[in-house]
Amino acid sequence: MKKAGFIFIIFLLAVTFRLNAQIDPGSIARVEDGKVIYQLDLTWSDSQKRQVVELFDLDSTVWQKVGSGASTIILDSAEWYVHKLDRNKIELSKPLERKPAVHLNKFDIMLGNENWKTPPGYVDQEKVIYGFNSFSKNNVYRYNKGIVQLFLPGNTRAKKVFIAGSFNEWDPQRTAMQRVDSGWIIKIQLKPGKYFYKYILDGRWTTDPNNRFEENDGMGNMNSVLYLPNFQFKLNNYKNAKKVVVAGSFNNWNRNELRMRRTSEGWTLPLYLRDGTYSYKFLVDDQWITDPDNETTRKDMLGNQNSVIAKGDLHVFKLKGFEQAHRVMVAGSFNKWKSDEFPMKRVPDGWELPFRFSPGNYEYKFIVDGRWMTDPANPFTIGEGDVTNSVLAYKANYTFKLTGHANARTVIVTGSFLDWNPQGYKMIKKDGVWTFPVYLKKGKHLYKLIVDGRWILDPGNKLWEQNEYGTGNSVLWVE
Amino acid sequence: MGISLWFLIGYNGRTKRTDPVISTIQGSAGSEATLIEKTDTATIIIPLKRIGKLYLIEAKIDGEEGNLVFDTGASGLVLNETYFRHYVSMGEHSSGGITGGVENTQRITVDNITVGPLKFRKIPGNMVNLGHIENRRGIKVLGLFGFELIRQYEIQIDYAHNQMRLFPIDKKGDLLNRSTGFKADYTQKIEETKNIVFIKARIGDKQLRFCLDTGAETNVLSTDLPRSVLQTVTITRTSRLRGAGTAYTEVIYGRMNELAFGDTTFTGMETVITYLDHLNDSYGKLIDGMVGFDFISKGTFCINFVKNQMGIAYLKLNDQ
Repeated sequence: MKKAGFIFIIFLLAVTFRLNAQIDPGSIARVEDGKVIYQLDLTWSDSQKRQVVELFDLDSTVWQKVGSGASTIILDSAEWYVHKLDRNKIELSKPLERKPAVHLNKFDIMLGNENWKTPPGYVDQEKVIYGFNSFSKNNVYRYNKGIVQLFLPGNTRAKKVFIAGSFNEWDPQRTAMQRVDSGWIIKIQLKPGKYFYKYILDGRWTTDPNNRFEENDGMGNMNSVLYLPNFQFKLNNYKNAKKVVVAGSFNNWNRNELRMRRTSEGWTLPLYLRDGTYSYKFLVDDQWITDPDNETTRKDMLGNQNSVIAKGDLHVFKLKGFEQAHRVMVAGSFNKWKSDEFPMKRVPDGWELPFRFSPGNYEYKFIVDGRWMTDPANPFTIGEGDVTNSVLAYKANYTFKLTGHANARTVIVTGSFLDWNPQGYKMIKKDGVWTFPVYLKKGKHLYKLIVDGRWILDPGNKLWEQNEYGTGNSVLWVE
Repeated sequence: MGISLWFLIGYNGRTKRTDPVISTIQGSAGSEATLIEKTDTATIIIPLKRIGKLYLIEAKIDGEEGNLVFDTGASGLVLNETYFRHYVSMGEHSSGGITGGVENTQRITVDNITVGPLKFRKIPGNMVNLGHIENRRGIKVLGLFGFELIRQYEIQIDYAHNQMRLFPIDKKGDLLNRSTGFKADYTQKIEETKNIVFIKARIGDKQLRFCLDTGAETNVLSTDLPRSVLQTVTITRTSRLRGAGTAYTEVIYGRMNELAFGDTTFTGMETVITYLDHLNDSYGKLIDGMVGFDFISKGTFCINFVKNQMGIAYLKLNDQ
């Protein structure tokens, strides 16, 4: 059975670079004599090479091509000159563009490319799955009852110190820090989640010198990263262990990332973890163990037992009948379609599985003795034929509606929330009205309806804007 | 017209009620635009809301409430067609875009618009698609607000207090107030075309003409500038911005290491280097670049269109 398609990536992990892996853009690129010149080093690590490609929007084949020895190379259909400085250092150059093919307006230039949907320095909280802090001093960060306290030691000669970040619109004058004997302190009420910030000492911006996590905002600026926790992993005892790590489905079972801290009772790690259902284990001195204080465990296909945590509100997956089946599983976009992770439990009239989610639109299927099937009790689906999935709009906050097309055979809604997948959500006709409930995050959404193959604006919505194809998209704001 | 409205006009926390008087300004479309304004010497305050590096002004336009981007790179009022499509078009107007690009704009007349404590009637404006600003910045944008509707005041843009202050002036440009409390550290004669302000600044030994553009989230330099100018910029990123299809334009992001304005040199301001010829057309003047938010954030700017003068009072640390 072919695995269902349309797997939309919801597990987008925010990439946190460590400081030491950062490249310095200013020392790489320069504009000189009407040319843009990049000085590249062939000995850089793969991660540094990737950063250079991303930061300067270069063709990803650049590293392979500059290593070839050719004096001119073609990157993205433009000619570049390669000048060898020494064995490992290369200068790559190209004349500045004189007559561009596209005339951008001012806002297009400022707004940057498509990848910057969240403005530089801001966080799309709905994309943050997990995160933790790493400070080099104990007393510089505290989070209790929704109030974060940050402390900047020293700098007592400064006249004024402010903190600015994603939580105060990066306003350099809104949040003044208070001077104490040994430095500067600030308390701010903030919800759990991810934030960027910087300190401003007498007008001079600086990252937090005691925070090991910094991220490039995509414009060449570094910001300190703060995760305000809503969860704590705890392992009691094991006091003789040298090292304890927690890993799970939320971080792709990375065993080198979430190192727990020693406490008087054992080990702990506070972190931010988005609502959802996750498998995890502790790695105690290279030995994997389940959480001894968590009774909820689940076997994976290989027979390994994992602990399970579930955060958020409860949803129960239910499949009626199939009493003769031996094994019924549920898989979906919430677990990257892993067929072996979530077995359903037998109940008197069929099968069920209590599950916890964060609000969102999830695609899923049941797997009955190896056979993939949509949920017979759920009329809402996406896709066609074999690649049809059930859709659960968990905590739906909007319902698309179309009236006046009672004779249409199919009506599909698609839009920015589905990356404009033309298969889209199949609307259901009831009493002559086509509907589809969805969860839409706060902000603006663009969409269109496809009635028997014809793309139309939503006739029930007077807001629309022109798109790049010279037609329109309906506009919807979710407050 | 039978209008008898009362306004609240605040300054430094004090509020004051004044009788409104109606005066008129001539709309560029030939219609008679009416500004309902106050005539005594009290200051008009327009709060500026900051989202990232954009200034937003709360406005109500024929019943629709929302934000206008304070964009002095736009001549006057530009509305987002998503919300105002129902306006009767006064004919297509297809000059280089009013927002600095080639796009279709339509001339319209707005019946009622309230901007802070100011109320206007029958205001001519342009209508374009501003969906791209909304889509990339996640904010609802009713339109853009340039200097046109406030050019009969002395205008102070005060970054430290997130507000714009308007002071009534006479025909010679002299203040009706005795004092506005503003003391310029530096003043310069400005050039003006279509309500857009151009100033002079130096990079290296070159004197350059910049558009003062509050809608520019970073400063902009033209790729056509001499090498001695561009070499002063530290490059932090490059990007290819795509239009429809596969065509693209190169944009270089960096930091300006030296921009001298009068006796003061600014360092480390964000800038973009890109091709600007098409923007020259829309501004109606050849420019070498734009100075935007980072420049505005250096202090309080005072602009007087009658005297063609701009002053800046630099932000001192103890102002903060």
